[in-house]
Amino acid sequence: MKRALITGVTGQDGSYLAELLLQKGYKVFGLSRPESWSKPNCASHLVDKVNILFGDLTEDHDLASIIKETRPDEIYNLASQSRPGVSWRSAPETLEVNGLAAIKLFEAVRNHRPQARVYHASSSEMFGRSSSRTQDEETSFHPVNPYAAAKVYAHHMASIYRDSYGVYIANGILFNHESERRPQHFLTQKVAYGAACASLGIVNSPALNERGRPIVEGGRLALGNLHIARDWGYAPDFVRAMWMILQQEKPTDFVIGTGDLHTLTELCEVAYQSVGCDWEKCVYGDPALVRPLEPGQLLANPTKANEVLGWFPTVNFEEMVRRMVQAQLSHLTQLL
Amino acid sequence: MRGTVNKALITGVTGQDGSYLAELLLSKGYEVHGVKRRTSLFNTDRIDHIYVDPHESDRRFILHHGDLTDASSLIRIIQQVQPDEIYNLAAQSHVAVSFEEPEYTANSDGLGALRILEAIRILGLEKKTRFYQASTSELYGLVQEIPQRETTPFHPRSPYAVAKLYAYWITVNYRESYGMYACNGILFNHESPVRGETFVTRKITRALARIKLGLQECLYLGNMDAKRDWGHAKDYVEMQWLMLQQEQPEDFVIATGVQHSVRDFVNAAAAEIEMKIQWKGSGLDERGYDQNGRCIVAVDPRYFRPAEVETLLGDASKARRKLGWAPKITFKELVSEMMREDLKSAERDEVVKKHGYSTFSYYE
Repeated sequence: MKRALITGVTGQDGSYLAELLLQKGYKVFGLSRPESWSKPNCASHLVDKVNILFGDLTEDHDLASIIKETRPDEIYNLASQSRPGVSWRSAPETLEVNGLAAIKLFEAVRNHRPQARVYHASSSEMFGRSSSRTQDEETSFHPVNPYAAAKVYAHHMASIYRDSYGVYIANGILFNHESERRPQHFLTQKVAYGAACASLGIVNSPALNERGRPIVEGGRLALGNLHIARDWGYAPDFVRAMWMILQQEKPTDFVIGTGDLHTLTELCEVAYQSVGCDWEKCVYGDPALVRPLEPGQLLANPTKANEVLGWFPTVNFEEMVRRMVQAQLSHLTQLL
Repeated sequence: MRGTVNKALITGVTGQDGSYLAELLLSKGYEVHGVKRRTSLFNTDRIDHIYVDPHESDRRFILHHGDLTDASSLIRIIQQVQPDEIYNLAAQSHVAVSFEEPEYTANSDGLGALRILEAIRILGLEKKTRFYQASTSELYGLVQEIPQRETTPFHPRSPYAVAKLYAYWITVNYRESYGMYACNGILFNHESPVRGETFVTRKITRALARIKLGLQECLYLGNMDAKRDWGHAKDYVEMQWLMLQQEQPEDFVIATGVQHSVRDFVNAAAAEIEMKIQWKGSGLDERGYDQNGRCIVAVDPRYFRPAEVETLLGDASKARRKLGWAPKITFKELVSEMMREDLKSAERDEVVKKHGYSTFSYYE
């Protein structure tokens, strides 16, 4: 029986990945901070199936002992401070968690479990204000926030541990991937929530935004720059790519994305339309929500993943958005 | 408006660049503040000649205890000094050591730069204080084009380079997001007689001087084919200052545009003291012999890096065009000065030893 260790198991990707690996017959270990596990989280329903280990990625002792104890064949390093916007207010902590914790993990693997294969979660945010129209594994980075700069740090360190010490570490450069399990503060989830509220006629929503105001206030949803476009994929498709990446004979990096671009207005349109509402009456752009420095236009070129891994997305944009809105609807209906 | 006396704060003031920069700024009339770490041994050799006793009045060179890994010490010093310019030269600057201490390297070289930028912001000095970040040609690592200039993509090959790359980007991000005057000097290798003893150029000149006087048998080196663009630190610190005197903050590559291999450096240094080295063998078996057939240079694989950077060559045309900067000291003059100074200290050791006193033996 193969053994896998997932850091960040309580998150969207961690929980989907745990389900996938369980289904494939793995024994799954999940690393979580006690405070993350004690709250309801994306992996709560797996409580009897995943072996949860308490620890903090920023503590070397925890990592070394957990790796020795669990003897994983595969390690998926998904834990991170995952909000680029917040990283401006907590740049040092962001580097601690997204950068330094990763090298503590690589170091622990090199010393205690050199035969393990490591997947490291890199991010399309690293491309930032990229000068190329589409981004692939060869595109150079231009990070525009502390989150992305920290991710660039970990990405390069992964390559150095791979090239210098022969540790099996592969970076997955994932473009945006969403799902019903996205936390409420993510853009796509806000829109799905807004559409569900509109459908149920909720004028002031129970859920609050970062500023402590209802996400939907006076019947309207505030978003940042409405003209941004993203390459949005569906998270369960993306965690399948993570697993596929570690099944390759040699560790290399992969860009994972759909290769399709959708604007925020398109997202709103699909979401509100799926419940028969007009988004233009319910959504407005608020300058206060615009990031200090917006990344440029990013679009994945997933040719390598298509050809080498045989990976293709199975759920398209419209279907994903509808699922997210439906999940919000049933959640809100339970509350009412 | 800038005050009448400009105040500069230098981190890494006890290092090669820090000491040259302190001298330069003092000569330009600055009040210079330096940050030094508390260490178990004295580490102020390079600035002892400009040190001013705290009991004297009108001091223009003032040292503070602080550490790049200690945010509160940085905030306190910056608050106290209210500098017009900060030069962040402090770093764990040794590439090979960074493989052994990757975390400390990230903490001091990467997070350290961020802590200073944050301190400037927290203290509300974004509009007053200009920030220079010592970036490095090691960012280019596995070079993507030859020669390397400001637009060349980075490909770092060591924990040192990756940490420095983080500092580079965070400097760019703070400039673009908060409108701070912050810039990166991407400096190619720069040497001098006060270069650290474990860096390859200084290791060579020091060893050859000691071999010449019979104080040492053999010089062990790693990759002798590695090619570098070596300039003189004195020329380069002038550029650091110039970069902070512009209208707009921008990043600049600083280099000579001329490349030599480690072996070339050994030959040039030996020639300065009338030694001629004859090379035999190749790869791990390559050896250099002096006129008397003694083996004085050999390869020791322990000095190979886990991932080598084979070649670095800089294109400083932007600095030449926009700042009118060009290096004044040639490669030959650099090697000659380093050799001369190391010969002097070897001679001093020889005298001391002859009279029965022990000398300091420095080991890596």
